[in-house]
Amino acid sequence: MSDHSTAHRPSGAEEVPHPFRQHHFDTAGQQAGAAKLGMWIFLGTEILMFSGLFLAYFLVRMLYPEMVLSSHELLNKVWGGVNTVVLLTSSFTMAMAVRCAQVGDQKWLKTHLLLTLTCAGMFMVVKTIEYSGKFAHGIFPGKYFDYEAAAHYAAEHGHQLEGLPHIFFGLYFVMTGLHGVHVLVGIGVILWIYLRAQKGHFGPHYYSPVENVGLYWHIVDLVWIFLFPLLYLVK
Amino acid sequence: MSEPKLYLNGKPAEDFVENHEHVSPVNNYVMVLGALFFLTALTYAVSYANLGPASLPVAMGVAVVKATLVCMYFMHLRYDDRYHVFIFVSTLIFVAIFFAFTFFDFGSRDRVVEEQGTFVRRQDGGFDAMARVKKRPLPAGAHDAPAAAAADAHGAAPAAAAEPAGAEAGAHAVEPPAAAEAAPPAAAGH
Repeated sequence: MSDHSTAHRPSGAEEVPHPFRQHHFDTAGQQAGAAKLGMWIFLGTEILMFSGLFLAYFLVRMLYPEMVLSSHELLNKVWGGVNTVVLLTSSFTMAMAVRCAQVGDQKWLKTHLLLTLTCAGMFMVVKTIEYSGKFAHGIFPGKYFDYEAAAHYAAEHGHQLEGLPHIFFGLYFVMTGLHGVHVLVGIGVILWIYLRAQKGHFGPHYYSPVENVGLYWHIVDLVWIFLFPLLYLVK
Repeated sequence: MSEPKLYLNGKPAEDFVENHEHVSPVNNYVMVLGALFFLTALTYAVSYANLGPASLPVAMGVAVVKATLVCMYFMHLRYDDRYHVFIFVSTLIFVAIFFAFTFFDFGSRDRVVEEQGTFVRRQDGGFDAMARVKKRPLPAGAHDAPAAAAADAHGAAPAAAAEPAGAEAGAHAVEPPAAAEAAPPAAAGH
């Protein structure tokens, strides 16, 4: 990767035209600033949406502590940990992809985007393994929860389910499911960025889409940073 | 500049900065990733040490540190336009209001029930969906640990472990003592 100044670079000063500048913006810097502002507002709404689920989790935990404690033992900490490492790595490669776009390193931009896609795919594979493992033992979302099969499964692992395990697993499926949907959307938009990068659309003077997709991907990572300890680890 | 590119209130604007760009050195990203891995290993290890009531605050504290690292360096908030920090932080303030008021409501509900007697009180029994399954014998070879022992082994609060082993009673009396520790920091005040 080439050396590059790490100082602030006000983009209004040295304007270089690029073909993606839209006519209603005075400068490319204005366009990039507006795009990023919009992205941050969207990320704010994402945080608010997930906060409702986190609040539901904390309330259930407050009202039925034994139920949460006994149910969470059935989640596989190792798979959760693997997914955490995978997602953190993908966040790193995404940040590096943005940096490559900033300095105009086309080859590594594409490589980092592919690495990010690979990590996202690995995350979804692990999620599939986890979900199918739960479904195989009667742990389904909502009304399809099979208490008897779940109790046997728990007993095999030396645990006893207490209270309302279907509520805990309902929360588990909704929280990780909504997060998983975000990962799938992330795969879609990163693929879009990758295809555009192949056409050589991005460089030091135009990389807003890479940057904003990166911000979205980091928020997905951020949600998982909280989901992992709450669902898998905390006693 | 001969031809101004930006106009403010109909007048050409000078020295405008519309978009902050910052290229971090690769080292920064690598170090942040290392710190994130270290903190993940830390929470993972801590989850095996029975911290009891402290485990939730510790895990949340580590998660907040990780989230801060991601926001500051991966999301560039440290170098970005302060207005983006403002948007982000104000979102968090609204989340805090959401959490705090809901917990105030839940925390004060029992007192209202005491004073007025107008609300239906949550009762023991009828809340344990596992009760009907538990009455059946478990498969051979499976542990049949009493609830109290199981809860104790997994580091539940002592008050919870002291509950009757049968646990047929299911739902816990109105607010278990463990509630205070389960509440997030935002609601710790009530």
